[in-house]
Amino acid sequence: MSADYHDHDDHHPSPWGPHDWGHGAPHNSFSPLIMSIGCGMFLLMLGGLFSFGEYDGRYLPMIFVSLAVIAAALIVWCRQDMSFDGSYEPRAVGVPFKNVQVRKVGVWIFLWSEMMIFSSLFSTYMRYRQGIPRCDTVFESGDWVEGVAVTCFEPASKLIASSWWHIAPGAINTFALIISSFTIVQALRWANKPVGSVDEEVRRKRVYRYLAATWCLAALFLTLKMIEWFIGFHVPEIGFLGLHEHDIHSLYSEGYLINNDHYQAHHYVDEATGAHMVANIQVSASLFYVTTGTHGLHVFGGIVGLTYLTYKAWTGAYNPQSAVSIEYFGLYWHFVDLVWVLVFPFFYLY
Amino acid sequence: MGGSAVSRRLALISLMAIAMIVVPAVTSLPSGISGVKDTGCNCHGTEADPSVTASISGLPSSYNASETYNVTVSFTGGPAIDGNANLGGFNLWVSEGTLATLDSSTQLWGPNEASHTTEGNDQRSWTLEWTAPVSGKDVDFILHTNSVNGNEGDGGSSGDMWAKAQVEVTGFGGELPEADPFKVLATLIVVSSVLLSIVVLYVFYRNNPEGFEWERFAPWITEWLTSTDHKKIGTLYFVQGLFFLGVGGIMALMIRVQLATPGAEFISQGYYNQFFTLHGTTMIFLAAMPLIAGFANWIVPLQIGAPDLAFPRLNALSFWLQPVAALLIFTGVFSGGGADTGWTGYAPYVVTENTHAGVSMWAAGQIMLVASSTLTGINFLTTMAVMRAPGMGWFQMPLFTWSILVANLMLFLSIPAFGVGLIQVFLDRTIGTAFYDVAAGGDPLLWSHLFWYFGHPEVYVVIVPAFGVISEVIATSARRSIFGYKSMVYAMAGIGLVSFIVYGHHMFTSGMSPTLRFVTMLTTMLVAVPTGIKIFNWLKTMHGGSLVYRTHTLWTLGFLVTFTLGGISGMFFPSMALDVHLHETYFVVAHFHYVLVGGTVFGFFAAIYYWYPKMTGRMLDERLGVLHFLTAFISYNALFWPMHRLGVVGMIRRTHTYYITTDDFQALPEWAADWNMLISVSAFLFFASNLLLVVNMIKSLIRGEKAPADPWGGWSFEWMTSSPPPTPSFDPHNLPELKDANEHVANEPSRLGQMFRRLMVDDDASEGGSH
Amino acid sequence: MSNTILGRDAYWMNFFGLMLLTLIEVAAVGADLSSAAEGFSMTERQLTLWILTVIAIPKFIMIAAIFMHLWGENDSGILTLTALFPAFFIIIMILFIGLTHPDASMGLPDWCRPGNYGL
Repeated sequence: MSADYHDHDDHHPSPWGPHDWGHGAPHNSFSPLIMSIGCGMFLLMLGGLFSFGEYDGRYLPMIFVSLAVIAAALIVWCRQDMSFDGSYEPRAVGVPFKNVQVRKVGVWIFLWSEMMIFSSLFSTYMRYRQGIPRCDTVFESGDWVEGVAVTCFEPASKLIASSWWHIAPGAINTFALIISSFTIVQALRWANKPVGSVDEEVRRKRVYRYLAATWCLAALFLTLKMIEWFIGFHVPEIGFLGLHEHDIHSLYSEGYLINNDHYQAHHYVDEATGAHMVANIQVSASLFYVTTGTHGLHVFGGIVGLTYLTYKAWTGAYNPQSAVSIEYFGLYWHFVDLVWVLVFPFFYLY
Repeated sequence: MGGSAVSRRLALISLMAIAMIVVPAVTSLPSGISGVKDTGCNCHGTEADPSVTASISGLPSSYNASETYNVTVSFTGGPAIDGNANLGGFNLWVSEGTLATLDSSTQLWGPNEASHTTEGNDQRSWTLEWTAPVSGKDVDFILHTNSVNGNEGDGGSSGDMWAKAQVEVTGFGGELPEADPFKVLATLIVVSSVLLSIVVLYVFYRNNPEGFEWERFAPWITEWLTSTDHKKIGTLYFVQGLFFLGVGGIMALMIRVQLATPGAEFISQGYYNQFFTLHGTTMIFLAAMPLIAGFANWIVPLQIGAPDLAFPRLNALSFWLQPVAALLIFTGVFSGGGADTGWTGYAPYVVTENTHAGVSMWAAGQIMLVASSTLTGINFLTTMAVMRAPGMGWFQMPLFTWSILVANLMLFLSIPAFGVGLIQVFLDRTIGTAFYDVAAGGDPLLWSHLFWYFGHPEVYVVIVPAFGVISEVIATSARRSIFGYKSMVYAMAGIGLVSFIVYGHHMFTSGMSPTLRFVTMLTTMLVAVPTGIKIFNWLKTMHGGSLVYRTHTLWTLGFLVTFTLGGISGMFFPSMALDVHLHETYFVVAHFHYVLVGGTVFGFFAAIYYWYPKMTGRMLDERLGVLHFLTAFISYNALFWPMHRLGVVGMIRRTHTYYITTDDFQALPEWAADWNMLISVSAFLFFASNLLLVVNMIKSLIRGEKAPADPWGGWSFEWMTSSPPPTPSFDPHNLPELKDANEHVANEPSRLGQMFRRLMVDDDASEGGSH
Repeated sequence: MSNTILGRDAYWMNFFGLMLLTLIEVAAVGADLSSAAEGFSMTERQLTLWILTVIAIPKFIMIAAIFMHLWGENDSGILTLTALFPAFFIIIMILFIGLTHPDASMGLPDWCRPGNYGL
C-alpha cells in the first residue's frame, strides 16, 4: 500500500484521452470499466426485454442506453489508440515465437477461442442433425397424423436451396465475404509499400478506399441477411429474361421460426388425401438462427473494427511502420470468412 | 491538526448515520393484502346487506405450524329460508396455509381459495380443512357469502343479499411480510455502495492521514479504477476473491445450519436451493478463479522477468468484467428468486419456467465471466509465450508460471464450449429458442457435454495453480531446487491434456454413450499417474532438503495430506459400478471439498503467507499464522471427513433435509444426525479460524514489520525486485537475464526444440521487416 | 508480399480460385445430380454433401494459407503450428459431443447390449 501513485503521472496524461505511446504500453484507461458496466446493463436489460419468448417493450430504451455506454467505452479505447503510429511494436524474445510481433501472436491465440466457439456450435449442429429425424423422411414414411405436430429436423436449406432466387442472398453474401477478404489484403499491400516507392497521398487514398470497400461489403452482407431472414424481396416482370413477377418470401414469413411448433409447408401436403403434416421445428430453427447469427455478430464486430480502421486510414495514419494493425484485423476478418466457408454449405446448401 | 482529525472522524460517523437512516426508508414494505380478493366475490347484489351475517368458526386465536384445523363458514339472515331451491354460497380466501375440501359441497380454486359447489348451494354452512403454514405469519381469512332466495328470474340473483367477514389469526411471531423484490434490490445496492465507499475512504485515509482531501483522493481513486498495471489489477482480483470467499463461506454456513439436525426447517427448500447453487458458483467463479488470477497477475510477470503483461488494457477489462458479472449473478437473490439450478445448471430444468427468475441473470453473469476468462487466457498465454526474459527457456520457467500456463491453456480452450452452452441457455430463457426444450426435440445431454467439456478442465484449472504454489513453497522451504523439475512439467501438461477426455466421468449415470463411458473411465484412472508423480516429487524434495517450518510450509504440508486423501477418494468414481452407488451422495461432496478446499484453498493460503510480503512490503505475523493453520486444519478435517461416511450410507447431496426415522426406506441411520451436527459445528469453527487470516493481513498492513526483498531465501526473479516491486516491474530496456551454471547443458536444444528452431524467424530476417 | 502463383500475384489468383470454387458449390446444389448419384450408389443429398465437403477443404486452406499469410512468409511455419494447436481439442469435441447422439446405445452391436447372456 505504498503512496507512490502520483510518481509516474507523466506516463499517463489522461485515462480518457490519447496515449503517449513513446512510453510503451498504455498505463491508464477508463474504457474497461465503462465497457464492463455497459455489457452488464445490456445483458440485464435483454433479460427484461424477453422472457421465454415474451416481449416487454418497457426495457427497450435501456437497451439503447446500454449500447450507448458500450459505444462510449469503444470510443475511449479508439481515442487512445489513434496516436499509435507503430513505433512501439514489441517482438517476442524467446522460443518459439522469437522475432514475431507480440500482437500477432495474441491475435492467433485469440483465434483459438473463436475456433472452439464455432466447434461447439458445429458439434451442437451435428448432434441434433443426427439425433432428430428429418422432416421429409418423416413425411415420406407416413408416420404422422394431421393436426398433431411431429418433432423433426427441418434444415433451413429446404427453403433456401429450393430455388435460385431463394439462394441468391446467401450466394451473394459468400462472394461478398470473399471479395472483402481480398480488398482488405489489398489495403494491407498498399499500406505496406515501401516509403518512396509510392506517393503518400495515393497511398492514403488507396488504403482508405479499400478499407471503405471492405466496410461496404460487410454492410451488404448484413443487409442481405436481414432481407433473407425478415424482409424478403420482389422479383419484377422482365419479359426478355423470362422472369415472372413474384415475391420471394423471407424465412420469417415462411414461418421458419424459433417458436414455431406448428410449422406447415406446401411440400408437406399429402397429394392423395390433402392432409397437412404439422412439424415442431423449433430446434432446427434455433440452430440455424443462432449459428448463422453468431457468425453475423462476428461480421458486425468486424464492421465496428473497420469503422475505426477506415477513419484512421482516412487521416493517413497507415504506412509500412503501422500497417501491421491492418494485418491483425485482417486475420480476424479472414477467420470470419473461413467460418462462412463452413457455415454456408452446411446451413444454406445441405 | 487534532481538530481536523476529529472533524474527519465526525464526517465519517455522520456519513454512516445518514446511511443508517436512509436504508430503512428504502425498504418500504408492501401494505398488506388490501385489494386482494375484492374480485373474489361473485356477490349477488351491489352492496353488502346488514341483515346477513357471515361468520367463520373453528379457528384458534393463534395457530401452530403445520397443524390442521377444521374451519366452518356460515351465514344467517337474508332471504335464505328453508324451502328455497337454493340457499346460498360462499367464497373463502386465506393469505397463508393451504385449504382442502372435506366433502363434495365445497371446491378449491387453488391452495388458498375455496368456494361451494353446485351440490353445496343449498346449505347455510360449509366445513373445510385448513393446514396452517410454517412461516408463523399472521393469516387473514376473508369470507364472502351470498344469501339466496332461490328464484329463477334475472339469472337467479334478484333479491339476493351478501355479506363479508374477515378474521385474523395471529401467527407465532413470524412478523416478516414479503418485501417488494426491487425495493430490496435497491436497498442492497444502496447499502453495499455506502459500505464500499466507507471502506474505500477509510483505506485512503489510512494510507496517508495527512492528505485526506479531494484533490488527492480523486487521482488516487481514478488510478485504481483505470489502472492497467498488473500489480494493481492483481490486488483488485485478490480483494474480490477474498470478499467472495467470505460470501460463499456464509452461504455454506446457512446450508450447514439447515443440515445440522434432521428434518429441519431453518431455511425453506426454495432458499436452500439458491444457497447451494450460489455457494458453488461463487466459490468456483468468484472466489477461486479471481484468487488464482490475482496471484497470476502479481507473480507471473515478476517470475518471467517481464515489465507487465502483453496486453495491459485487456487485462484491466478482464478484471472489471468480474464485479459486474458478480452483480448479475446475485441479482436474482436481491429480488427474491436467485438461481436454484445447482452450479452445473443441468438442462432441461435450467430452461423451464419453474426455475427462479434469477437463473437468466445467473447465466448472463457467467457469460461475462467467460468473456473475462477468455481475455485473461489470451493475455497470459501470449505473455508467457513471448515475454520471458532473455535466457529463460521453457524449461527454465518457474513451476508456478508453468502451472498458470497449463491452467490458462485448459481454461482458454475449454471455456468457449461453456460460453456457447450458456448462450444457448440464455437465449432459451429470453428470446425462446429451443436448444434444451425436450418437447421440441432438444437434448439435455448436450448441455451436460458442453458444461463438462469445460467443467472438468475447469476443476483442474482451479487445482493446477495450487500445484505450482506448492512446488515453489516446498522448494524454497526445503532450501533446495525442486526434485524432478521436468517430470513436474510433463505431469502438469499431461493432466491438462487428459482433462479434455475424462470429462465424461461426470455423466456416468446420465445415459451417455456406453463407448464414451468406457473411454472416460480408463482415462480418468490415468489421471492418478501424473498426480502421483507430483506428490512423490514433493515428498522427495523434502527428503533431500532441510525443511524450514514457516507458516506457508505448514500449509504446504497440510495440502500434501488433504490433497492426497482427496485424490484417493477421487479414485472411487472412475469405476462405473461404484460411481452408480456413490453418485449424488455426500461422498462426492467430501471428495471435491477435499481437493478444492484441502487442495486449492490450502495451496492459496500458502501462497498468501508466501507472497504477501512481496506484494505489500510487510511481513505477516507468524504466530497468528500458525494459530490459523492449526485451528483451520483440525476444523477442516472434522468438517469434511465425516461426509465420506454419510455419503456411503446414502445421504444425498443437494437435498434440503434428511430423516433418521428407522422405518423409512430413504432414512439414514440415527448416528447420521450426530455426525451432521459435528460437521456443522466444525463448519463454524473453520469459518471463524479463517477470520484470523483477515485479521493478520489487516494488522500487518497497518503495523507489520517491513519486509526485505527476499524474506524466505527464494531464488526466482520475483525475489530480485524490491518489496513491493516498482512500476513497471522491470525496466523494459534493461530486462533481467537468466544465467545458468550449466549453461552449455541448459541451452542445448532438445529434439523438439531443434524442430521449433528450424521454424523460427531468424534475427536478420526480422530486421528488414517481414514483408 | 512477393508471393506468386503460376507467375501471377498470389492474392489475385487466390481470389479467382475462391470465386470459382464457390460457383461450383452453388451449381452442385442447384443442378440435378440424381443420375450421377446412382452411379455412386448413394442418394443425391449424400453426393451433394460429399461435393460440398470436398470443396470446403481447399477453400479453407486457400484462405488460411494466402490471405492469412500462413504460406511464404518468415513466420509462416511457426504460426501454422500455432493455428493447428487446437486441432486435438476440436477433434475430441467433435467426436465426444458432436458424434455421440442420444440413441447411441441402440447403435451398439447386439452382443454388448443389455438383454444378452441371460442378463
